[in-house]
Amino acid sequence: MNRRSFVKGSAAAIPATVALQMMSTSAFAQGFSNDVDVLNYALTLEYLESEFYRQGNGAGLLSGTEADYLQQVGADEDAHVAALTDTINQIGGAPVEAPAVDFGESFASRQSFLTTAHVFENTGVQAYLGAAGFISNPDILQAAAGIFGVEARHAALIGSILGLNAEDGVYMGATETPLTQAEVLKAVEPFLAGMGAMAGGAAVTR
Amino acid sequence: MKSNEIFEGKPVMAFDNAADRRNFLKWAGIFGVGSTLVAAGVTRPFSASAQGGGDIDILNYALTLEYLEADFYKQGVAAKLVSGREEELIVPIRDHEAAHVSAISSTISDLGGQPVATPKFKYPGPTFKSRDAFLKTASTFEELGVTAYHGQVTRIKNPDILAAAASIAGVESRHAAVLADLIGGDPFPAPVEATKSMAQVLKAAKPFLK
Repeated sequence: MNRRSFVKGSAAAIPATVALQMMSTSAFAQGFSNDVDVLNYALTLEYLESEFYRQGNGAGLLSGTEADYLQQVGADEDAHVAALTDTINQIGGAPVEAPAVDFGESFASRQSFLTTAHVFENTGVQAYLGAAGFISNPDILQAAAGIFGVEARHAALIGSILGLNAEDGVYMGATETPLTQAEVLKAVEPFLAGMGAMAGGAAVTR
Repeated sequence: MKSNEIFEGKPVMAFDNAADRRNFLKWAGIFGVGSTLVAAGVTRPFSASAQGGGDIDILNYALTLEYLEADFYKQGVAAKLVSGREEELIVPIRDHEAAHVSAISSTISDLGGQPVATPKFKYPGPTFKSRDAFLKTASTFEELGVTAYHGQVTRIKNPDILAAAASIAGVESRHAAVLADLIGGDPFPAPVEATKSMAQVLKAAKPFLK
């Protein structure tokens, strides 16, 4: 499988001077002032997912096709982290660092692993949809949409192997629903260690 | 089907400005089942510059594919080829495609456009004769639909239409993953969804159009 990088050559369309005020802890600050902000927001979520699957897939909770599927999901998230990081660098931005995470009891069982994965994937779908409108570069929009679709695949498949109801489980209606940054933060906050250090993030929860 | 009417979409620019982009978020959630922009109380959300023929052409292109999917699942479900959990997973797909037809048609009308009529469809003989043939064709349609939507992402001019299209495309991705799983295929063929041009999609869809 060709796990390639995307938006090759997109840097040409980006102004050389992009404001670089992003700090490693402010990916959830309210609003996006440029494409780098959006990409760093996405990168933070992808870091979370990537690390989540690294730990979960390492816990030996799954077997057979399920294990294969979740390995592939994890590999996709790794590819998203790499691609987003490359893209931010290409357009002259500074990629945020991986957040400190704490997945609590998520890896206590197959059920808890997959249930938490399902939440992550659906939140990812909604986060991309909610942020897409802030992207100005068409190449980046294309890539973000392409990732969004793959997160939807993950969400559906994980819902399916959990045996959830088809509607409001595997599918979430005839159309996807976006979430704002604040809503996404609320959903992932339990998994971010040391949120008190996230000045930007704290601001949106007030 | 008069393909030249449907597949004549011209390349369009990305959003005119940042404000147009930001409108995307505002409207991104209202393209629900049976609701249109007008029904949601949004009578004229589009700037004059965003009402060119390009977006309507793209919507009619999407509508044609949704017509095909809706008809396909209607026949496939009626043929009682799947049961149990499989049926439970397929019936909502049929309903989603019907909802997409309805929503896209209404949106085209709201924009002052003319929704294309339902084409006449034909399916190869064995399509509705077995569970395997039905689901394999379904998987092909879903993957085609995903690449069709993603192929239009940067061609859609109106942010509201882009939001609506994206919210549908994500559901097609869900369908594609479920179908791949049911037929023993790969639910996750790549880390980023692939794209196909209108010409490529038309070529793939043409065998099903009378």
